[in-house]
Amino acid sequence: MSVRVSFRSEFAKHAIVCFVLGFAFLPLYLMLVISLKSNEQFANNQWFFDAPKDWQWHNWVVGWQSVRDHIANSMVVSVGSVLLCLSIAVPTAYVIARYRFPGRELVYYGLMITMFLPGGAAALVTTFTLISKLGLLNNLGALILLGGVGGQVTCVFILRQFIEDIPKELFESAQIDGAGHLRQMTAIVLPLSGPILGTLAIMQFIGAWNDIMLPLILLRDKELLTVPVGLLRLDGEYVKQYGQLMAGYAISSVPLILLFLFTMRMFVKGLTAGAVKG
Amino acid sequence: MTTVVKPMPVPRRRSAFAYRARLLAILYLLCVPTMVGVLLFTYYPNIEVVKYAFYRWDGSNIVEYRGLENFRQAFGADPLFWGSFELVGILLIANLVKMWPSILVAIALHRLNSQRWQYLYRVLFVLPMVIPGLVWLLIWKTFFTSGMFNDVLHASGAMWVFRHLDAGLPALATTFATSAYQYDGSLLSAALQVFRAIPFLFASSWGLALFGIACLVAGPGIASIRGRWLPWLMVLIAGAMIWEPTTWQAWNAADGVAVAWHQYIPWRLLLLPILAAAIPEWLRRRDRIEATTRVRWIAWGCVALASLLILLTETWVEPTGQFSPLLDGRPANPAWLGHSKLVIPALMLWGFPWVGTIGVLIYLAGLQNISTEVYEAAELDGVGPIGKIFRIELPLILTQVRINLIFMTIGTLTDYAFYLLLLGPDGGSDNKGMVPGLYMYNKAFIQNEFGYACTLGMCMFVIVLALTVFYQKYVKVEK
Repeated sequence: MSVRVSFRSEFAKHAIVCFVLGFAFLPLYLMLVISLKSNEQFANNQWFFDAPKDWQWHNWVVGWQSVRDHIANSMVVSVGSVLLCLSIAVPTAYVIARYRFPGRELVYYGLMITMFLPGGAAALVTTFTLISKLGLLNNLGALILLGGVGGQVTCVFILRQFIEDIPKELFESAQIDGAGHLRQMTAIVLPLSGPILGTLAIMQFIGAWNDIMLPLILLRDKELLTVPVGLLRLDGEYVKQYGQLMAGYAISSVPLILLFLFTMRMFVKGLTAGAVKG
Repeated sequence: MTTVVKPMPVPRRRSAFAYRARLLAILYLLCVPTMVGVLLFTYYPNIEVVKYAFYRWDGSNIVEYRGLENFRQAFGADPLFWGSFELVGILLIANLVKMWPSILVAIALHRLNSQRWQYLYRVLFVLPMVIPGLVWLLIWKTFFTSGMFNDVLHASGAMWVFRHLDAGLPALATTFATSAYQYDGSLLSAALQVFRAIPFLFASSWGLALFGIACLVAGPGIASIRGRWLPWLMVLIAGAMIWEPTTWQAWNAADGVAVAWHQYIPWRLLLLPILAAAIPEWLRRRDRIEATTRVRWIAWGCVALASLLILLTETWVEPTGQFSPLLDGRPANPAWLGHSKLVIPALMLWGFPWVGTIGVLIYLAGLQNISTEVYEAAELDGVGPIGKIFRIELPLILTQVRINLIFMTIGTLTDYAFYLLLLGPDGGSDNKGMVPGLYMYNKAFIQNEFGYACTLGMCMFVIVLALTVFYQKYVKVEK
């Protein structure tokens, strides 16, 4: 940037960024602090760690017990909806990208228009009755179905552009060698669009993991709740043991943190893509 | 590349027609899962919404055709529904202000000299995004409810500021809430008379804001706007929405309340677009080149003034008395989410310092496309650090700002999960935090009026659709 380095202006920039980052990390710090306290300790000393011998590791045990089922449920729902989403989006994107046929525009724009439907809020009621008519109320399958179908629109939109950029000679030579559509998809599309598929999968995973309204209205049994609804129940149901609550929050954040650590670049892309998608 | 379907050389001879039919069948087959899914889980529920908007329906058994009765109820006799739109308006203005910190932080981050620090900070900005949003919400909620937030306010001296705001803001509000204001002969009082013109001309501060927006739309001039019926329709719809149910009651004249002619709002509704078109035309006649800039200044001035007035006169209008020490001498402990007069201020403070980490990263990506030459040129011209924000950075990341603006408005209009989780299905005490989406949820799942909820859903749908069309046509986003 500028050639001269003015100490004052550099300091101001660092100060602004650090101020904001401080606010961003304060809740995380306090989550850890409080998760190691009993309620009395919390009342006496809200802001700092106690002496290590007073740390209530028990909170983490209770926290783990209260959220592990929810984590398992969320895993099932998220992984399921990612698989469903990609397995139906890839063929559609492939067909739309490669062929012109009567009805292609109908399929494509029919999908794209759903992006502009305000969806959730208005259709929540009728989605609820639809799911109950299908007999899928209180069933994780409903969440997988809705998540997968809802997420595929963005996937088709992005994948289509990607597949269009694959040289068509590749497809043609495969065709001459006798490869069918399925074979072309698995042998050409999937390997070539690996990174973009990863990004889409992560975007879908985060979306499904954080979704709250659908599980909130579709699930009844405590054993079936996903993480967000489970945390909400914990927050509302008991006489609050702040330490155990915070430990539960911390544990339920771990899966996404792990996912982030292993797929950092794609994770950020998936998040920002998801944010722009709205 | 898309290829035209044509007969391919196949080893076994078959007629071209059979080949084509087979190919088509396979293509359709591959699309079937997508189409069935979308039709069943996206289109069907939305179509049902339209259908049940005309019915009384409790979700299970009772289905009774009501015609337009639901809509009449929503428009005419449901103050809570219209109140929720007022809240959305206030939140929109607040969110417009809350957009700025993210931009400024992104600029500060971008201007850092050391690439290494910049990288480190970027990684640190990513980390909080990894924690699920609900966990953030619950942690912050714990701060609010467990008194930790108030301790911070005491320690930092902010409680003192709030105590004075609690006295000052309502006083300001009554000064500017022009109906309560009386002329007492002093100079200040005479100056404040200007604000009396606002409710008279524009019905309320909302009308002034609307006038500003209409000016912006009409800015390019009548000639370029002729045939564009959409902006005028938008202005009318928005106007009809903003002006309270009294408008509809006046039209229905059902309850027989006599309305004086100057309080009768529809004439102002017609006056607004005419005025918004006339002023640019008049300016253009006098000075063709300067006119567009001037109209823009007028328009933004109106919007800014109206926003300020709305924030002043709608958010903190009564002293809450929550910030002074308690009678027994204990320090004040305001119930931010529990007290009905504090809900809206709490919603505005929520998320301080209002920096969305995702937003920062998006802006940063835009900023990194700016070439160093631009900065060097500006340096030669003697543009200062603040000048650079307005002359270089803001214009060059306008695309990102626009995208964020679009998603922010639509998000503010439709979001309700946040309010449901934070304030419960009733929108907090006194329904102060009732946004339209939450009201819909409340009607459907708490009061079991599914049909009426569908009606409200349809109204929302129309508004969001109009907004989307408006954005697609008039807010250009270059890819």
